[in-house]
Amino acid sequence: MILSRLLAAALLAAAIPCLAAAQDARRGATESERRGAELAAHRCVNCHGADGRSQMPGIPSLAGQQPGFIVIQMILFREGLRHVPAMTAFAEGLPDKDIEDLAAFFASLPPGPPDDRRPRDPALFAAGEALIGPRHCNVCHLPSLTGREQMPRLVGQREDFLARTMAEYRDGLRVGADTQMNGAVMGLSNADLAALAHYLSQRD
Amino acid sequence: MTLRKLLLGFAAGLIAGPALAQQAAPAAPAPVPGWAVGRPEGSTLAPHAPRLTVTPLDQVPVGAIKLPPGFQAEVFAHGIPGVRAIAEGPNGTLFAGTRAIGRVYAITRNPDGTTRTRTLLQGLSQPSGLVMIGNSLYVFAVNRVLRYDNIEANLDNPPAPVDLTAAYGLPTEQEHGGNHHWKFVTLGPDGRVYTNVGVNCNVCDTDRDKFALLVSFNPDGSDRRIEARGVRNSVGMAHHPVTRELWATNHGRDWVGNDSPEDSLLRVRRSGEDFGFPFCLGSWADPQFNKGRACSEFSQPAALLGPHTAVLGMRFYTGTMFPEQYRNQIFIARRGSWNREKLSGYDVVVANLDAQGNVTKVEEFLTGFRDDATQKFADRPVEVHVLRDGSLLVSGEQMGAIYRITYRR
Repeated sequence: MILSRLLAAALLAAAIPCLAAAQDARRGATESERRGAELAAHRCVNCHGADGRSQMPGIPSLAGQQPGFIVIQMILFREGLRHVPAMTAFAEGLPDKDIEDLAAFFASLPPGPPDDRRPRDPALFAAGEALIGPRHCNVCHLPSLTGREQMPRLVGQREDFLARTMAEYRDGLRVGADTQMNGAVMGLSNADLAALAHYLSQRD
Repeated sequence: MTLRKLLLGFAAGLIAGPALAQQAAPAAPAPVPGWAVGRPEGSTLAPHAPRLTVTPLDQVPVGAIKLPPGFQAEVFAHGIPGVRAIAEGPNGTLFAGTRAIGRVYAITRNPDGTTRTRTLLQGLSQPSGLVMIGNSLYVFAVNRVLRYDNIEANLDNPPAPVDLTAAYGLPTEQEHGGNHHWKFVTLGPDGRVYTNVGVNCNVCDTDRDKFALLVSFNPDGSDRRIEARGVRNSVGMAHHPVTRELWATNHGRDWVGNDSPEDSLLRVRRSGEDFGFPFCLGSWADPQFNKGRACSEFSQPAALLGPHTAVLGMRFYTGTMFPEQYRNQIFIARRGSWNREKLSGYDVVVANLDAQGNVTKVEEFLTGFRDDATQKFADRPVEVHVLRDGSLLVSGEQMGAIYRITYRR
């Protein structure tokens, strides 16, 4: 926890210029989005990216993410029900209003892939695509795989983050607001998860 | 170790499940999660998102509530996201359980009649089952059973609980495969603790001695007894104030159409009765899991309560504030559907009983949360609780509020 605070403090200084730019780009935003942008400036953008597109391996992009998903995950962090050490200090004691404003801010940012997205591997892409139907991904995340309410946007997410997250669900390291995702990825091999992660990260 | 156990549990749930059996034996059938068994291809029905943030008082939809003439609704408590079960202490403290947000709230009344809410416990896994026995609060969080002694004197600093998990020996979340593992709990007139063990899937050939049960225990977790079998998932129970019979609400399975099967009200006339899951529900034979069983061999529900309505909390009205016609009738919260193209439920109904305990009719009581024109809902009633003054509390899980219903002639 202390480490993550130090890290955050160190990164904060570097992020402030980007932040001003991001705020300029936000003219016309709602009050909630503006407030969320200010809150994000001091916490989130250091890792998740000033434009909400993470350039850091293992850190998810939040731009264009479903606000309901962000809110629930932040509350699970805050209540000690989802354990990610780097997030604990930021979520601790955070008021609902702050969480809702942060979610509104990130949801308002245009989604897109990270700058370092690798070229598409057609065979891997096809293998991932072939798992979407049998695994019912489109039921909750919708055929566009952009999610809805408590179910996250998947397309354009960082490939490394997607693969790790699905492995966490499969291995019982994580639950969401319920346990649907644990069932959805149960029994998949690491190769299956790699293919799914590649397919989802390559979809726009 | 925990991780491996979890993984094994999920895998075991799938392998043992019926999903494999019902497929036409392809070489390596894709395992289907328990909740998705029987789901038609292409359906995008999915559970509604919970709201885990505080709803400001001016957005609590008390104004949408419609009641019979003479009844009024007010906000009793608010700012308690995910509120579900209600248990009352001897000194009048109300305890409220939740699911996703993992909290137990304590609600006390101020001298001026307003209420004060505290977050009593947090970080628990689905602490939806609460029961007061004497001065002790029992919290059922999936299979964990925690007893907080002398709790009303320690609301600001709850004591370390006595852990009764091993004594109760309820199936873990992993054994449930993440399905229907949350609890409802009530105290019987015999001093025993009554709870549900929901089925470990949407529908499957389950272990009928382990899942889809109503069970009772001594409060210390000893002497487990099966009260009813073949009950898919009950999240509401109460004992008749005169006959002392156990009654329970029961959820029907998903993915067999908009209008079947119906949720149901069960009357348990003797311990161990079998209500037929997964083969039958009343006269309705499951199209995939009937296995040639005659539905007449099973106990029949006392009433059908509508398809996918999600019947939850139920209580007999034992107060005197409401008109005499409500005495010993059953108030039932219907949380509302997700596995149906058009919304159903989102209300409170009353099941009327005759002198023999037969249900003569089921009538709407609290409505107005469901908007059929827009297919939206304003709140989801989960629990009903009769206060000592005869007013009725209704918990609204979606908006994190408890409503109080009163009657004036």
